[in-house]
Amino acid sequence: MSGRMPRLMIVDDERHVRESLAHWFTEDGYDVVTAASGQEALDTIGRWDVDVIVSDIKMPGMDGLELQNRIHEKNPQAAIILVTAYASVATAVQALKEGAYDYMVKPFDPEQLSQVVARAYEKVHLTTENTTLKQRLAAAEPPFVVGTSREMGQVMELVDMVSPTETSVLIRGESGTGKELIARLIHLRGTRPYGPVVAVNCGALSESLLESELFGHEKGAFTGASNRRKGKIELADGGTLFLDEIGEVTPKVQVELLRALEERKITRLGGTQEIPVNFRLVCATNRDLEEAIREGEFREDLYFRINVFSISIPPLRERAEDIAPIADHFLRRFATAMGRQVTGFSEDARELIDNYEWPGNVRELANAIERALVVCRGDQLTAEHLPIQLHDDETESLGGNYSMAVLEGRHIEKVLRLHGFNVTHAAKALGIDRVTLYNKMRKYGIERP
Amino acid sequence: MTVRGWSVELVKCGAVPPVVIRELRRDLALCLAHPVWISDQSIGIDVAFSPERQQYAADVLLRGLLDPVPHEGLRRIGIVSEDLFLSVFTHVFGNAQFNGQVAVASTYRLTPSYSDQPPDPQCLRLRLLKEVMHELGHTLGLVHCKVPWCVMSPSLDPDHVDLKDPAFCAICADRIDVPQDRIFSFLK
Repeated sequence: MSGRMPRLMIVDDERHVRESLAHWFTEDGYDVVTAASGQEALDTIGRWDVDVIVSDIKMPGMDGLELQNRIHEKNPQAAIILVTAYASVATAVQALKEGAYDYMVKPFDPEQLSQVVARAYEKVHLTTENTTLKQRLAAAEPPFVVGTSREMGQVMELVDMVSPTETSVLIRGESGTGKELIARLIHLRGTRPYGPVVAVNCGALSESLLESELFGHEKGAFTGASNRRKGKIELADGGTLFLDEIGEVTPKVQVELLRALEERKITRLGGTQEIPVNFRLVCATNRDLEEAIREGEFREDLYFRINVFSISIPPLRERAEDIAPIADHFLRRFATAMGRQVTGFSEDARELIDNYEWPGNVRELANAIERALVVCRGDQLTAEHLPIQLHDDETESLGGNYSMAVLEGRHIEKVLRLHGFNVTHAAKALGIDRVTLYNKMRKYGIERP
Repeated sequence: MTVRGWSVELVKCGAVPPVVIRELRRDLALCLAHPVWISDQSIGIDVAFSPERQQYAADVLLRGLLDPVPHEGLRRIGIVSEDLFLSVFTHVFGNAQFNGQVAVASTYRLTPSYSDQPPDPQCLRLRLLKEVMHELGHTLGLVHCKVPWCVMSPSLDPDHVDLKDPAFCAICADRIDVPQDRIFSFLK
C-alpha cells in the first residue's frame, strides 16, 4: 500500500453526491473511484485495491449494510464509512456492530468528513503494515547456526508445532547447542512476538541474587537495595521469560517460581503488593532433571509445570553434517565483521574441524573460528590458526587410558592425518626420521587409509 | 507537468462590494505574475438559493460561471458574499472545477464577525486572497498540499486559513508556473 495515493471509493445512487464527494477527495489527494450501486462497487473492488469506502445506506437493490458484509468477504481490511440522509440511532448501531468504521449523516460537515476518512485510511494503513510485519516475523528463517541436518529438521518441526501455542517449553541440550536461539525462535513465532524476551541464566547467580533478579525488590528490601527494582518476571510481562539452566535453581527459589507460575502473580522482595504477570515460559537445561527429581534436588511439581512440551537439541558430534556448513557460516560472518579477506578453510583445517568432537558444541565452534580469524594473516584458515585445544583433544577421547603409548599412537596418527599420510612430511613435523615413523606406525597399527 | 499561459478573470456574483474585488485583483496580480482582470459582467445568485437550507448552491454558481465557457487558458473565478453549500456538505468556503476553468469563493464565513471577532477588513482581504488562490490552484490541477504554510494546504475553518501564507510552496508554484521571486517580493 505504501508508495501510492490512498484509494477511496464513493458508493451512492445519487450522481451529484458521487460527483461532489469524488471532487472533494480528489482535491484532498485521494485516488477516487465511484460506483452507482452495490453491485458496481463489488465489481470494482474485485479489480481495484480500495482502502476506504464511503457508501450510502439506502440504495436500490443492494443496500449499504449488505454491501458492507460483501466487501468484508472480499477485502476485510478496507474501512467502510456508511452515510445516510436519514439519521437513525438503530441503523447507526447496526452499521457499527456489523463492522463499519464510522457512520455519518448527510449533509456532512466538510471538516468532520475529511477527518473521518483520513482516520479510516490511517487505520487501514496501520493494519496492513501490522499484517505485513507479522508475516515477515512468521516467515523469519531459523538462525542458520542451528544447522540443516535431519536431526535439526526434527527440532524445527517441534518448534513450529509449539510456537503458536502458549504452552511452556523445556529445551534440553548440552551447553552451546543453541538453546537460547531456539527459545527466541519460539518467541518470534509465537502469539506475542512484539513483547520482550527476557533471559535469565539461573546457573550464574547465587540464590539471593537470583531471587532478586527474578522477582525484583523494593527499596530497602536488603542491604544495598537502595532503589525499587523490577524483576525479570515482571519485565517479561506480555512476552517470554527464558530461564536458562533451570536445573541449577535452588529448592527455595523453585518454590517461589512455582507459585509465580501457578498464580501468575509475583511479589517483589520486601514488598507486599501482588503484581499480576502474563508471560510465556521457556526453560532450558543440560541437566538430567528426572535424575535430579529422584535425588530430591528438583521439585516434581515444578518439573511438570515447565515440562509441558520438551525439545531436545542433539549435540554437534551427533549431527556431523552440520559442522561444515555452520563453520562456513561463522567464517563468513566473522570475516565480514572483522573486515578480513579470508575466503575459506585449508584442507587440513577442514579435516581437523570435521573430525573434532566439539564438546562445547556450536558455541565452541564459533569461538574457535573467531579466534582463528584473529591470528590468520592469509586468505585461508589453516590448522595452525585453530585454537590449541583443537589439536589437543586427546584427553577428551582417551577413554580413561592415560598411558604414554596410547597418547603417542594417537598423536602420530593425528599428525599423519594432518599431512595426508605423507610420511616424509609427518616425520619432519614429528621430529623423527621416516624409518622410526614407519616402525611406530606398525607398532600402533596405523595404516594409510 | 507545468501549466503555463493562463490568466484570471474575477466575476462579481451578487452583492459583493466592488472594493473587495478591486483589492483582490491587485493582490492576485502581485502574487501570481499572470494577467488578472475584473469582468465587466456580473452574475445573479438568486438561482442558486436554496430556501430549505437558506444557503447558495456552489455547484449552481459554477454552472452559471461556465456560461459562456471561458476560452482555454482563462480561469474564471466568481466572488460571492453569501454562504455556500454543496448538497452533501453543510457549507463550503469555495468550490472549483478540478483541472477545469471556473471556481467560486465566498467571503461569508471568512469575515471575522462570522467567528465573533471584531471587524477587520485587512483580515478578510488576506483570507479571501488565500481562498481564491487555493481554488485557482485546484482549477490548475493542484491537489491539497502537505506543506502547512502553502496556500494549497487544506483549511476547513478560518483559523486554518490564517495559518497559511498567501503563497504557493516551491513544488506547487513550479507546477502552475508562478515565479518564486514574485512570491518573495510580495512577502517583503
